[in-house]
Amino acid sequence: MGAAKVALVGAALAILTSRARAEECTGVSRLGQRFATCFDLGNRLSVTAGSEGFGLAIGLRHEITFEDDPDLEWKMEHRLVDGGYSLLDDRFTGTFYRGRYLRHSRDGHIVIPLGTPKKVFLPFDIGALFEVGKLDFQRMQPSFQIGVVRVAPVVDFARALNYRRVFAIGPSMHWDMDVDRSFKAVTEQTVAPFTEGLVTMRLESSDGLYSAEARAEAGTAWHSDRGWHPEARAEATLERIVLAIRDRPVAITAGVQYDSARAETLARIGARFVVFDRPDPRVSLHPPQVAPPAPPAPVMPPVPTPLPPPELPTDVHTPDAEPAPDAGRVIDGEHALAFILAV
Amino acid sequence: MRAVVYAVIAVIGIVLPGHAFADDAQAPEMSADRPVMCLRDASDQVWRIQCDPRTKVCLYAPNEELDSTGGRVKPLERARTCELDAPFDRAGMEKQGFTFIAGRVDAPYGWMRDERQRVFQVNFDLRRRLYFGVAYTPQKVIDNPLESTRTSVDFGLFVFDYLQGGRTPTRHRIRLFEGQVHMQPFSAEVVMAHYDISHRFMDPLLRITTFVGTPARHDLVLDLGMWSEVGSLELHKTPMGNSQLWRHATAQVTLDLWQSANLDSFARLRTGLGFEGQRDDVNGYRSAVTESSAFDIDWVLDPAGFHNVRFELLHEIPRYFTPTATTGRYVQRFKAGLQYEAIILAINDQPITLKLAGSGEKRNDLPGVPDKWSFILDAGLRFNLWAPPRSRS
Repeated sequence: MGAAKVALVGAALAILTSRARAEECTGVSRLGQRFATCFDLGNRLSVTAGSEGFGLAIGLRHEITFEDDPDLEWKMEHRLVDGGYSLLDDRFTGTFYRGRYLRHSRDGHIVIPLGTPKKVFLPFDIGALFEVGKLDFQRMQPSFQIGVVRVAPVVDFARALNYRRVFAIGPSMHWDMDVDRSFKAVTEQTVAPFTEGLVTMRLESSDGLYSAEARAEAGTAWHSDRGWHPEARAEATLERIVLAIRDRPVAITAGVQYDSARAETLARIGARFVVFDRPDPRVSLHPPQVAPPAPPAPVMPPVPTPLPPPELPTDVHTPDAEPAPDAGRVIDGEHALAFILAV
Repeated sequence: MRAVVYAVIAVIGIVLPGHAFADDAQAPEMSADRPVMCLRDASDQVWRIQCDPRTKVCLYAPNEELDSTGGRVKPLERARTCELDAPFDRAGMEKQGFTFIAGRVDAPYGWMRDERQRVFQVNFDLRRRLYFGVAYTPQKVIDNPLESTRTSVDFGLFVFDYLQGGRTPTRHRIRLFEGQVHMQPFSAEVVMAHYDISHRFMDPLLRITTFVGTPARHDLVLDLGMWSEVGSLELHKTPMGNSQLWRHATAQVTLDLWQSANLDSFARLRTGLGFEGQRDDVNGYRSAVTESSAFDIDWVLDPAGFHNVRFELLHEIPRYFTPTATTGRYVQRFKAGLQYEAIILAINDQPITLKLAGSGEKRNDLPGVPDKWSFILDAGLRFNLWAPPRSRS
């Protein structure tokens, strides 16, 4: 009975502690049903419908850690097939791959291999942005643009342990080309050999309900047909999750985009539906099952211990006598005394 | 003036790494192969001590990183665990002749510590990296020596070598989205995916026994491998317009003439076939089957991976399915390139390398481009991410 009490108390404690841990990101309805209140914005497949048209994006986040250096971590963010189709302009824009890799270390430093190598402390993380295969295709235009590659080494002053804060700057290189649709030929190359500067920022609330991202680039780029020209681009996006359907978030998004080369500024607003996502690890939708106390073991009657056989006297000799003529007979009380006397 | 600048950069790149590990000014480092003890002193500070009974020397070092004033600031990074508060009789050891010297805590292979016990990487595998760089590229064309100078950029999204060890090791080399862009006049090359392998065979392909004099055995080892690329694009701006060359796929057989122990360096021949399409403003689009052969050298000069040399001599013969107005059914492309890359600096253990490269090209498939050798020199810097320490060979 005591063991059963201990088991019940343990189970109750386990439930209470798990609830306390899940409360941070798990809501409970009046009927006791659980739902997520935190969302992982980095690992999801989302569809966006908005003022411009439709969009699709696949996001992945993961960390690379090292057993021999727990203070070092690579924060890897990938976006695959991040594209959209504008119904109004009959225009498709998208990027095949976009990555942001940040190396977070507790101890930022620079090593100068001058004589004895020297280590100088630097108060930032380092990393890089990498984009491959950006396409801007508009049916009414005679040419379309391909952003072949865009890279930028960056230093991140936010130095966050997680993905929620980024403030990174660095020089930017990109190579874009204009392709004539009729001749299927490249008509103009644009190259910025690290002659542009880039600033990227990200802010994300700890529950993922709010997020803001901004990026700006400015500098000069070389065009194959007209030489060096200044150019600038900027974009900013806000996202606010307003509801969730079966714990898949639905967010309101708003954004603005500026491109000096195109002389265009675009503003958009829309709704983003997450089709698949990785649940935030802090969410606990399934309460831990309480195992019923083990039934008491059946009480068994005590098993009598067999008495040891009496010890035989070792000094008694049993003669090899002939069997008594009465051996094997049942001796009744009347003949018992006579039998004993005879023996 | 530019020559002076290049000379200075070259000196920084070549000379400094060579002197990078002069250990004479450093306190001695503990051995990573011998046990180390952690002892607490009277003020409750923990020290690492390692004694060598052969030399009767005990090295000691604080068990934390130090700031510039010698104060202990944080735990050691990349330090192995040590036995804490093990019995230790310093007086007795001193009576036995042991001397105690301040030293540095040992660091894992590929890393070292400074006097303040801070660890940093000093060995880099440039065959595992993401890189991008910029270079200044003066150009000299033999028939037009006054061609303008130009700038170039290069990049590699994923450079990854993997060694399968054992008695017959194989090295796999994967490159994704690697290329370079030259400006004024414009040219660009980018390869979507590259994969090649080097293999060392244990048994010779042929063994020849000679019976003249004492019988002797002569082994003929053929270290064959494979080389392939998919999705290569080459763009050129020519006096007669633009040219685009798509090498859709190329597959070659390789023969390693020389291999280093861990196969990261080699000299090899390769030959094979590819399928390509080329478009220019004069001839339009045409397809070809291309026979290509090359001689490659890829050489890591030092164990720390600071100095790297690459050489490539390439010959391609595209055979067009239909002859064009400016070319026959066959054309030829020769290309030669030599590149030296040296690590000059590391920021947060991510190396920055100096690249010095020279290349030449002679081809007759581009309308308006003379069928003569033209040469290009590159000098620039590359920013590298990842580049972990090289594995012990």
